[in-house]
Amino acid sequence: MPSQQELDLQISPLVQESLVHNSRTLHNLQSLTASLFGVGAGILGLESYSGFFFYLLFSLVTTLLVYALRIAPTSISSSPSAATAAKGGVLSRYFRSPFDFWTAGLTNGLAGFILTWTLFYGLVRA
Amino acid sequence: MAQVPVQTIHRDPQLFYWILFPITIVMILTGILRHYATVLMSSAPKPLDLRSTREQRSLLHGISLRSNFHTLSPRSFHTRRDTIITAYESGAYLKDPERKGQPPANPMTDPSSMDGMMGMMKNQMAMIIPNTLIMSWINAFFSGYVIMKLPFPLTIKFKSMLQAGVGTKDMDPRWMSSISWYFLCMFGLQSVFNFLLGNDNAASQMAQQMGQMGPQAPQMFGPGADPNKQFLTEAENLAVIEHHSVLDGVEQRLLEGIRV
Repeated sequence: MPSQQELDLQISPLVQESLVHNSRTLHNLQSLTASLFGVGAGILGLESYSGFFFYLLFSLVTTLLVYALRIAPTSISSSPSAATAAKGGVLSRYFRSPFDFWTAGLTNGLAGFILTWTLFYGLVRA
Repeated sequence: MAQVPVQTIHRDPQLFYWILFPITIVMILTGILRHYATVLMSSAPKPLDLRSTREQRSLLHGISLRSNFHTLSPRSFHTRRDTIITAYESGAYLKDPERKGQPPANPMTDPSSMDGMMGMMKNQMAMIIPNTLIMSWINAFFSGYVIMKLPFPLTIKFKSMLQAGVGTKDMDPRWMSSISWYFLCMFGLQSVFNFLLGNDNAASQMAQQMGQMGPQAPQMFGPGADPNKQFLTEAENLAVIEHHSVLDGVEQRLLEGIRV
């Protein structure tokens, strides 16, 4: 007999393509906003730690907004069954793991953030 | 109030117009050019002949039966499994059944696999040539200029990397020369390309290199794979499946759902 977890996955399967599509959409959003945060940080003239905190804070806010506006309403109203709740809450219906969802954005956008931050810092503060 | 005086360097504002913007624009345009070059150079996959298509599809059939067996009733699953295993083991789906025991042909001599090699070569070339050109362009025209200051401090070790060609010993490593702006562009422009060209673009060489470094997916139908061996492995995988259906005990689950 299959294990309980395996059976749950077979009864309500996760479609790989949709998961990939969701992650890619989120990745697009994050890399675009990271560049814009870099513009902001550069114009404000933030340096060293305060700049990185700025990035950390705003990318977490972005992820939180995605969670609150796009994921939580549909997911909660469709009454997660016991199976989805056991596998890690409402997020696991849309993404691979909650940890991925909350932290992937930080690494995705960092290079773009540093680029635009340096550029605008150089242009404004020169 | 003993503060370390902040180094300031008075630079000509024209540096921005004649170094910073040209490098950035050239980087972006090269990315776009590389994307379209890849699109244009990619040759359409050659249509396979009937027998090799059958070989591939029947292997895929076995794999999808193995991964989706729980949606079938026991009887139809067993029928399918018996048919597939018999065909696999007798080699009925092989492209040329008489070459069953022989080792696979050398991929270098097989003309059908040369196409794949050429495609890889083209991609490599599309990556290497623009990089070399831009590097030498920057080195020839812009080496030795200090153009910008990083907004975050770095340790002294970065000095040789960021200030290549600037022979000033005591300068803060935060000051960067034009070649380091090139590197920064190379890493950070991915989001710009995402925005300009859509998601699965071929503009950034960094993404491609990451893909190559990652664990390579085993090529299923690539040159050098022995189809007969693949068939036998798949037959073995199918034989060990212990069948159950998702509909097993569905009445129980339904009643539980109603009671709550």
